[in-house]
Amino acid sequence: MDTCKLRGRPPYPFEIIGVLLTFSAGMEEILAEAGYLARIFGARLVLIHLGKQTPKLKTTLDEIYKRSGINPGETTSVWFEGDPVKTLLEICKEHSVDLLILETIRRERVLRHYLGSVTRGMSRSAKCSLLLLTEPATGGTAFKKIVVSGISHPKTPLTLGTAVYFAKHVGADDVAVVKELDQPALSMAEAYTNTADNSTILRKQIATDEIKKVHDIVSRCHSDEIKITEEILFGRQGYTIRQYARNCKADLLVINSPDAKYGLIDRIFTHDMEYILEDLPCNVLIVHSRIS
Amino acid sequence: MAKLTPNNFATFLLAISTMLVLSRVGAEFGKKIGLPIVTAEIIVGVVLGPTLLGNLAPHLYNRLFPFASNAGVSLALDGIFSLAVILLLFVAGLELQLAQVLRQGKTALYTGFGSMVLPFSSGFTVAWFAPQWFGIDASSRFPFAMFLGTAMSISALPVIARILLDLNIFRTKTGMVVIAAAILNDLAGWLLFSFILSQWGPEKGMTDISHTIIYILAFSVFMLVIGRVLLNRILPWIQSNLSWPGGVLSFCLGFCLLCAAFTEYIHIHAILGAFIAGIAIGDSVHLEEKAREIMHQFVTNFFAPLFFVSIGLKVDFIQHFDLLIVVVILVLAFFGKVLGASLGARLGGMTRRSAMAVGCGLNARGAVEILLGSLAFDAGLIAQPVFVALVIMALVTSITSAPLMLYFLRGEPEGN
Repeated sequence: MDTCKLRGRPPYPFEIIGVLLTFSAGMEEILAEAGYLARIFGARLVLIHLGKQTPKLKTTLDEIYKRSGINPGETTSVWFEGDPVKTLLEICKEHSVDLLILETIRRERVLRHYLGSVTRGMSRSAKCSLLLLTEPATGGTAFKKIVVSGISHPKTPLTLGTAVYFAKHVGADDVAVVKELDQPALSMAEAYTNTADNSTILRKQIATDEIKKVHDIVSRCHSDEIKITEEILFGRQGYTIRQYARNCKADLLVINSPDAKYGLIDRIFTHDMEYILEDLPCNVLIVHSRIS
Repeated sequence: MAKLTPNNFATFLLAISTMLVLSRVGAEFGKKIGLPIVTAEIIVGVVLGPTLLGNLAPHLYNRLFPFASNAGVSLALDGIFSLAVILLLFVAGLELQLAQVLRQGKTALYTGFGSMVLPFSSGFTVAWFAPQWFGIDASSRFPFAMFLGTAMSISALPVIARILLDLNIFRTKTGMVVIAAAILNDLAGWLLFSFILSQWGPEKGMTDISHTIIYILAFSVFMLVIGRVLLNRILPWIQSNLSWPGGVLSFCLGFCLLCAAFTEYIHIHAILGAFIAGIAIGDSVHLEEKAREIMHQFVTNFFAPLFFVSIGLKVDFIQHFDLLIVVVILVLAFFGKVLGASLGARLGGMTRRSAMAVGCGLNARGAVEILLGSLAFDAGLIAQPVFVALVIMALVTSITSAPLMLYFLRGEPEGN
């Protein structure tokens, strides 16, 4: 299969949705979520099983499919063994997966965080969008409040477009676009000359300029049916939006995919998406906009 | 415990108060005519020091700053100036977010690398092959060459941040690359300078080269990896359980001094401990912005003026002005930094004009260069004419940085 066909393809609509099934305790719930999302997006489901296929497992799975309302005939089934991240990346490429759904825990143990789990590993290197579900439910998660990262980046308009597309389909009633302003050395620069008034004016001016930029992006994404609020927050990128999403009890946090594959050094000197991965505030949608 | 006599204590307080009040007057006046605050503070020091007051009214000068005649007052003032250096390095470290370098990726790495390698090698080469220009004898050639290379490769993050803010390019790609590269410059520069001071400074010979390198690297890696993890657990507890902002301020400043004491104890200069402590604390997301601001205000408005005024008190700027040394250092500074940083930025994918703007931005040496020169002068690494030339270079590069950046950014798209 020509894997290059993914390049340049827009991140939405979600035509093919993949789901990783690891035969863990929450498998039925994640399968139900995947089935629900595939139905509302009108997407074909790719069931990706980690492990060796046995007749016993096959029978168990058929029963779970039945309970989850999934017709195996309308899905593609893939079984794999070996390095999960590497193989999953290949499978997603091969089946042109637009959205991969993964079940994950909110916070991993320290050692596991630094060594890297499958879900975190995929988040750092996937070439398709990822939906990390922290508490999948058989009845489907209600995505009522969605928080979207509005940082200055060429990927952001596509991420916002994907978030709006997602919100429309799942019936979200509140979308907040949050732009984090990380200003290293600003305090130092201000300490030298600014008066208290100047400092306040400067921060107000920065916030006004940035809210205009966010508004420009929002106004271009045809979101008439959905109420979108815009907000500027001063603070460390990744960490600030994580705290915001947690405090406002968001159901979904939507962010850009990283520009480069994150490694151990990014976990040690935590930045951007790593702040979110180290302690997920809610479900997370990482949008891979497929632009270089 | 030895104490200052009431008279000496009065002299000490008078000296501090004169420096503080006049530096504030100078800074506010300088602000009105567009002069950087550090420049104004140094000019106040030159006016109060041996250059002007010492020549015009020697009696008054000796009464105000009795460095030569009163050991007690001299020692007390030296203690204050040393503390100022430690705290200046600490707040410089507070703003060094290593993640910023990772975020800016290839462009920042190339720019940071280019803006260190070429200035260092050009400074080192000139000092090595022409030490006589700087009045250096053969035995001091290597440490001086190492120092000049380091002095050429360092940047001044506070000055650069201010320039970017004034030009309204703080949040553009160019601005972020300049900040990230300056962070790299400062980190590498101060690590290298700590090594130079511990090998050839006042405590030379206390540890061998390999041990010094191991100590510096081990301390830095421990603090930036394990130390940061521990701080990320301690800071939230302090901020929610101790009084605000007293608790966090006491902890941060105490931690800085503890680290400084430790590095001094293991025969690496105290500045390394303070600088690395600043990075470790400043990098924590749990350090509230308000606490960071208070520390900056405290150091910038009390200790920094004392330190920068003291620069002018150290030497006679007219007597030790050497045109050849000033010209050589200025040419080296501009050539190495602008060209090296521009080449790096260009290799990192920036346009020619943006790359030149980045080079000019990083050329601002300001307060950091003066700090470096002052420490080298106190350690006996450089003589007065080189110190004077470094101060002049720091001022010239800081003043010319903004107009040159503006020139090269003209016509470039804002987001570049």
